[in-house]
Amino acid sequence: MRIHFERTGGFMGRKVTFDLDTADLPEQELESLRQILAEANFFDLPDNLVTRPVPDEFQYNITVTTETIIHTVRTSDAASPPSLSALVQYLNQESRKRREG
Amino acid sequence: MDCPSPILCVIPPYMLHEIARNGSSSQRDTALRTLILSEQVRGQRRAFRELKGFLSMAAAGGKQRAVYDAQNGSQLPGVKVRGEGDPPSSDAAANEAYDGSGFTYDLYFNAYGRDSIDNNGLPLNSTVHYQKGYDNAFWDGQQMVYGDGDEDLPANERLFNRFTACLDVIGHELTHGVTQHEANLAYFTQSGALNESFSDVFGSLVKQRQHGQTAAQADWIIGEGLFTPNVNGAGIRSMKAPGTAYDDPVLGKDPQPAHMKDYVNTLEDNGGVHINSGIPNRAFYVAAMEIGGFAWEKTGRIWYKALTDKLRSTSDFQNAADLTFEAAGELFGVNGLEQLAVKKGWAEVGIAVGGSGGGGCLNAVLNFFGLQLRAG
Repeated sequence: MRIHFERTGGFMGRKVTFDLDTADLPEQELESLRQILAEANFFDLPDNLVTRPVPDEFQYNITVTTETIIHTVRTSDAASPPSLSALVQYLNQESRKRREG
Repeated sequence: MDCPSPILCVIPPYMLHEIARNGSSSQRDTALRTLILSEQVRGQRRAFRELKGFLSMAAAGGKQRAVYDAQNGSQLPGVKVRGEGDPPSSDAAANEAYDGSGFTYDLYFNAYGRDSIDNNGLPLNSTVHYQKGYDNAFWDGQQMVYGDGDEDLPANERLFNRFTACLDVIGHELTHGVTQHEANLAYFTQSGALNESFSDVFGSLVKQRQHGQTAAQADWIIGEGLFTPNVNGAGIRSMKAPGTAYDDPVLGKDPQPAHMKDYVNTLEDNGGVHINSGIPNRAFYVAAMEIGGFAWEKTGRIWYKALTDKLRSTSDFQNAADLTFEAAGELFGVNGLEQLAVKKGWAEVGIAVGGSGGGGCLNAVLNFFGLQLRAG
């Protein structure tokens, strides 16, 4: 499974992207990620959850690719239900680990 | 008209406003009644709004702040940790949000007679400690929300401090609320960049007023102190020299343009609202430097009048140039120093005032394709 994460907007307006290949994850973290995706019902979410622009919030494009499905969801801080917010926060944290120049 | 007090009837309105603001309880009541009667006769939209502010101030007792703690979660507003008049909390972020929203309220009230975000005493609610490692702050349509930056990382890996640490960031977020209640600038392309710019303008003015700085003394940096020493940058944006605020191996280079010739066409970030705001930001800076003195007094008043009385949700940069020019003429005289300063400010970023006339539809189409009409 691969995840492509794009974050735009925010007070700074700086774009952040990163790609995650779950083959690189320890088994325990992979299991945790699978659970987060399941709780978010990620593959059943609509393509776009952002219904109104919220000044300075982050907007996210998250694409998850498995052997059988590719699904992209556009969301934001205010637009994410708590179940999806957990995935967003996980990916935000992962992107911070990879931001070395 | 019946006058509550013969003496107050001959006192000019600006003095009545001062009495309404600073007088004793009975003086204030009398001044307010006189102002209401006189403004009813004049029928001035703006004066009525200011009066509404004074009245709600009298009723609600001024600013009403509340700070909540999201406890590193996403649920808003979270747990209340400090209310209006409460002693300082043990949490520095909560105190910064409390004090910063107070200083912002004070700028709007004392400089422009505005009572809070809606000019009707709307409580100023802030949430701190939003999520974990959240390098951001935003206005969600009802309240301000602040992250802690990189405070969860080891010191040598941190890029961002907590977002409440910068007074101009707090003023910026609160101003999004003011804009929402006034011009309601659509958060996309040029109107969105104007929305951002007004937040930077008044965010910076809150800081300048709090520090007692003239336009010449101010640094005109937005988010000065937001970066840790690990970042090569003075702050997030420079109103004085857009595009020069930071240049860092990790964060990259400040992408803001300072002139229309460098306008960035993009669909990201709602059409580059945080990028192209550099253009109107610099127009304000140039105008403020031309006018001189404390920027919140005259230049800020001109921009405030444009935001509250003139601009509309679809206004673009050209409209903002024309309407701030118009506002300067109305406030300080046609062809006066202030109006010419506004003209110069926009000219320096490549926008000639007077370009809005009759070209609204054409301009909208041209803007969509990133083009502009040239004056002359």
